[in-house]
Amino acid sequence: MMNKERFLSELKSGLSGLSEADAQEQILFYSEMIDDRMEEGMTEEEAVAAIGDANVIAAQTTARIVSAEPEEKTGAPKRSRRPWEIVLIVLGFPVWFPLLAAAAVVVLSLFIVLWALILSLWAVEVSLCVSVPGAVALAAVYFMRTNALVALMALGAGAVLAGLSIFGAFGCLAATKGAWRLTKSAVGKCGSMFGGKGR
Amino acid sequence: MDAQLKRGLLDVCVLAAIKGEDSYGYRIIKDLKPYIALSESTLYTVLKRLENAGMLTVRTAEHDGRLRKYYRITDVGLRRLEDFKNEWKEVISIYQYVAEGGA
Repeated sequence: MMNKERFLSELKSGLSGLSEADAQEQILFYSEMIDDRMEEGMTEEEAVAAIGDANVIAAQTTARIVSAEPEEKTGAPKRSRRPWEIVLIVLGFPVWFPLLAAAAVVVLSLFIVLWALILSLWAVEVSLCVSVPGAVALAAVYFMRTNALVALMALGAGAVLAGLSIFGAFGCLAATKGAWRLTKSAVGKCGSMFGGKGR
Repeated sequence: MDAQLKRGLLDVCVLAAIKGEDSYGYRIIKDLKPYIALSESTLYTVLKRLENAGMLTVRTAEHDGRLRKYYRITDVGLRRLEDFKNEWKEVISIYQYVAEGGA
């Protein structure tokens, strides 16, 4: 059986990882808890036993306070920058600005390349589409010249081209959609990075 | 129970326990006992979190020759309780949909 004094001193040594003020606050909290139980008629030992093991409590609260810190930060609204941070940002301008600008240019050029690719895909697709009536017209010409075999070949080529262009259209559409989504999300991220209210 | 959900429930339970009148640690535990098991160390973290969020204030008063801390709900805390009630109307309707096995 443990008395209040021993419980609190064990708790205190268990909380040595915390600041003096934090530890003292907890000791007062548990001391009050024990007193309130005793006031209700429990003996000192019973009241201490009801609270639990001092070492376990110390380990739990230390872990909770340490793990709660990053958590609270993500949950809390964006804090405003501290003065020294602003000073650092301003002083660091010659360093971070060229780096940021270079990164932005790289990203921008990647997107230009992406869209150029999409454009050339569509160019191929359009030329495929155009060549279908061309092949059919050729077949008609050869047919009129009574060169049936060549006309048939041209007609066959036309059918193949038509198939390819239909197939290609789906590919182009999918690629464009993908590129559009990528661009949109990139623009959104840029916006939230600078504006802070994006998304 | 999901940790996040449990934490939210603990917060509103403690707020509800001090809503009517100021209360102190041991009394909060006793008042909540029929609804939710709350250990001292858990209560401590909940009180700390609510205080940091501005949902309650703490004052120390003398009681029977010793000091005791009393917790009082703030307007922010009262608003949290109102929000909770509204949120849970939605949760309950979702629960009914899920419990009936969906469409």
